[in-house]
Amino acid sequence: MQLKLESNTYIPPVHGLRLLQIAIVFLFIIFCARFWYLQVHRGEDFARLAFENRMRYEKTFAARGEIYDRNGMLLAENHIAFGIALVREDTPDIDASLAQIGEWTNLSLETIRERYNDNKVHAQIFDPIFLVQNLPFEVIVPIQAELNEWPGVQIIPLPIRNYPQKHNFAHIMGYVAEAKPEELKKDPNLALADIVGRQGIEYVLESRLRGRKGLKRMEVDVLGRILKNSPIQEAKAGNNIVLNLDAKLQEGVSKAMGDHSGSVVVLNPDTGAIRAFVTQPSYDNNLFVTGFSQKEWDAVRNHPRFPLQNRTIQSIFPPGSVWKLMMVGMLLENGIDPKETVFCNGTYTLGDRVFRCWRKGGHGQVDMEKSIVSSCDVYYFVMGESMGIDKMEQFARASGFGSKTGIDLPHENKGLVPSRDWKLRRFKERWQKGDTVNASIGQGYILVTPIQLAVFIGALINDGKLLQPQLLASEKPYINGFLPFRDEYKEMIKEYMVKTVNSGYGATARILHRDDMTIGGKTGTAQVVKIKMVGDRRKKNEEMDFYERDHAWMGTWGEKDGERVVVVTMLEHGGGGASAAGPVTRDIYKLLFPIEKE
Amino acid sequence: MKFLNLPEKRVFLDMNWTLVLAVLILFFVGLVNLYSASSMRLESGITHAPFYSRQLMWGLLGLMIMSTCAILSYKMVERFAVVVYVFTIFLLLLVPIMGKSVYGAQRWLDLGFFSLQPSEIAKFAVLLMGARFLAGDGEALGWFGLFKILLIGFIPFVFIVQQPDLGTGLTVMFLVGGMALFHGIKWKVLRTCLIIIPLCLPLAWFALHDYQKERILTFLDPTRDPRGAGYHIIQSQIAIGSGEITGKGFQAGTQSQLRFLPEKHTDFAIAVFGEEWGFVGSIGIIILFCFFLFAIYSTVSEAKDRFGSTLCAGIFFYFFWQIVVNIGMVVGLMPVVGIPLPFISYGGTSMAVNCGLIGLVLSVSMYRYVFKS
Repeated sequence: MQLKLESNTYIPPVHGLRLLQIAIVFLFIIFCARFWYLQVHRGEDFARLAFENRMRYEKTFAARGEIYDRNGMLLAENHIAFGIALVREDTPDIDASLAQIGEWTNLSLETIRERYNDNKVHAQIFDPIFLVQNLPFEVIVPIQAELNEWPGVQIIPLPIRNYPQKHNFAHIMGYVAEAKPEELKKDPNLALADIVGRQGIEYVLESRLRGRKGLKRMEVDVLGRILKNSPIQEAKAGNNIVLNLDAKLQEGVSKAMGDHSGSVVVLNPDTGAIRAFVTQPSYDNNLFVTGFSQKEWDAVRNHPRFPLQNRTIQSIFPPGSVWKLMMVGMLLENGIDPKETVFCNGTYTLGDRVFRCWRKGGHGQVDMEKSIVSSCDVYYFVMGESMGIDKMEQFARASGFGSKTGIDLPHENKGLVPSRDWKLRRFKERWQKGDTVNASIGQGYILVTPIQLAVFIGALINDGKLLQPQLLASEKPYINGFLPFRDEYKEMIKEYMVKTVNSGYGATARILHRDDMTIGGKTGTAQVVKIKMVGDRRKKNEEMDFYERDHAWMGTWGEKDGERVVVVTMLEHGGGGASAAGPVTRDIYKLLFPIEKE
Repeated sequence: MKFLNLPEKRVFLDMNWTLVLAVLILFFVGLVNLYSASSMRLESGITHAPFYSRQLMWGLLGLMIMSTCAILSYKMVERFAVVVYVFTIFLLLLVPIMGKSVYGAQRWLDLGFFSLQPSEIAKFAVLLMGARFLAGDGEALGWFGLFKILLIGFIPFVFIVQQPDLGTGLTVMFLVGGMALFHGIKWKVLRTCLIIIPLCLPLAWFALHDYQKERILTFLDPTRDPRGAGYHIIQSQIAIGSGEITGKGFQAGTQSQLRFLPEKHTDFAIAVFGEEWGFVGSIGIIILFCFFLFAIYSTVSEAKDRFGSTLCAGIFFYFFWQIVVNIGMVVGLMPVVGIPLPFISYGGTSMAVNCGLIGLVLSVSMYRYVFKS
């Protein structure tokens, strides 16, 4: 064939060929270097990332420890409820899923979205974000059926705390709640939607009750489908706790108190074990777990008598005449002869101030025994003033007042033992003799908690040991200190208390008298406002506004067949110690030591 | 002059068999890799998607296209370059008028019995037209010459980018530029271009679509969107890097088997390979591609006329560009542009086009001695 050739001598452009050669070398060098960097230099890093990609760790819940009373009655248990959660990384359409969850649960989209936005901040990658909690089984069943169509949406069974005793133990149990962001930040063991104790025993014993979560490792594909599931660590349930309290007694005491607000402590004086610990009014602590309705919350928050207040340890009151027990101890230790008498004509005058005895006509000649049994005020006005506030402060502190008893509950108040320094600091005023006179009968500045008085009375009959009150059955007795009274003096005080109950005419705690056991007691009527007169008689409590009525105290101990108890009753604005606190205390002794029928 | 030169035996032996060998090896490596990439590990075990078997079918089809192109006389093809080019422009014009949309881009012409992507034909058209233009004389290109050759690429480029398909558009421009560089540009002109082009790049930024800007930004910092656009980049580097030196073994790559790796059949196929065969395998495949490019190079250097040589150089740049962009993207050296890896990635269209182009190179190699006789 004949072809017109361009040329037989065509030579490709040299620079062009060089360009192609360079291109090949360039490609080789660049990619070899890059592969070396990725696969050799940083290979281990990427291998770890690839491993983390497919391995997911999931925590398994540990059951929170249960709480029982001394007889094995359940006080706090776990029910199973269900929560709906969403894993962002597995959810193709988050908005639609949120809307669907709202539809399932009858919650508004805004509520769900708000929960989502609040919670996602603290969620790590692949963490389920809880949107709804505490759903019962009936609600969950139909949702479960549709779940396949909503990847990323999970139903997670969650234990929910239940307190079968409700009001009866609300202040002691406290409650649990979902961990707050601050708590999550502080405690690495906490994850989203975990519950933590917020109040009471639940709060104090958090670490023992919580247990330890388990860990599961799962191999998943990119859609989060689980291919392999291997537990790494089993969940360990929290410890069960047994309390010294007696649920039946607790309920009985509550009934005995009727409509009164106030506090009752029943204590074993030998061990410090608390057998009953009642505060009224109370609330249903389950509502803190499941959530208050607005109406329920308003009812609790706006209640005129503050049901959330734990009166036994958080409220402080003037002790009134119960204080005289401490005073007697102090007088004896300071060499006052119990036979020494003071004449009581119903008033005591200091300068231009007149201090009145509760008994208008006076008690006549009063010695120490009579001062307790008939609770004469003038005796203590005279004696207290002669002792002075400094001694009184010293003995009061040594008797456990003005400091916490160390009970296993949060927010204990330490009360107040006044002193010269204290008044100067607090009011920028010098201590007056009149202040001492007032303090002598447990009025004025002195403030105590019911639990402090119970510990003090316990120490009178247990050889002086100021014991830490114990809610937990497992705790050994712990001695905070010793009463600064000699044994013979304590015996005398005990005897006076028994006489206050048992002697005939004039015994202020006569209402407690029982033939089958020994009870010692001391009444107290703590004024809230100055005594008001109606004409020439004192205004009666029933005639006063509730918040101006006296606080009624009854500090007692009882013994039968070697078993001893301390019962302290405090009725807030309850009126007279004997008339209001007396019957309540009597009923409590009936519960503790039932009267045998012949 | 015959349209088809059914070759004599001697001519047949002259064919660039090295290139055929390189293509076949690449194809089979790709097929094996695809087998692994299409396996899915489920709870019940491993199942396979039918990608590898279809790829085998595409391969056979490609082989037919390659043979056809190889026995076409490329001198004849040169004559039709202008017709092909004008016809292609016409098809590209039709796309926005009557093309069908897939995934928001309008690239296909539905011809009833089969769908056609005019942008793929444009690659041939531009190669042929460019080579024909440059075959005129051996003079280095001046300003006007450079303008004309770039215009040949730029007209289809504008249409293709409109579709939008920036990847193919850039491919076209790159191979035109490559051919011009191969042919030779006057030093004065080249020097000026080297200064001006970098200065113009910021202007190009404003011409990009938002999603394209996003891709470039994500390439520069994948962590700005680790669950979205950055996900591809991060997961593919994890896949390759976790292969370490010797790899995780065939069908044992967790990134691909558990589908953390996106687009593992197509654009990210090499990541599957890197994960399962490690650094050793990666280097092997790079060497294989260099071998492949070198085989094309040998035809470029041995061609006995300017058209054939320039055409092959264009084809060289075409493959070079795809390899660099694809692997560059997978290893995180380049932004994510949807360009498949020749013979490794799954896909019928690219297989057909690639085989056709290899066929042209073979045609040039076969006829290099014809004119001697």
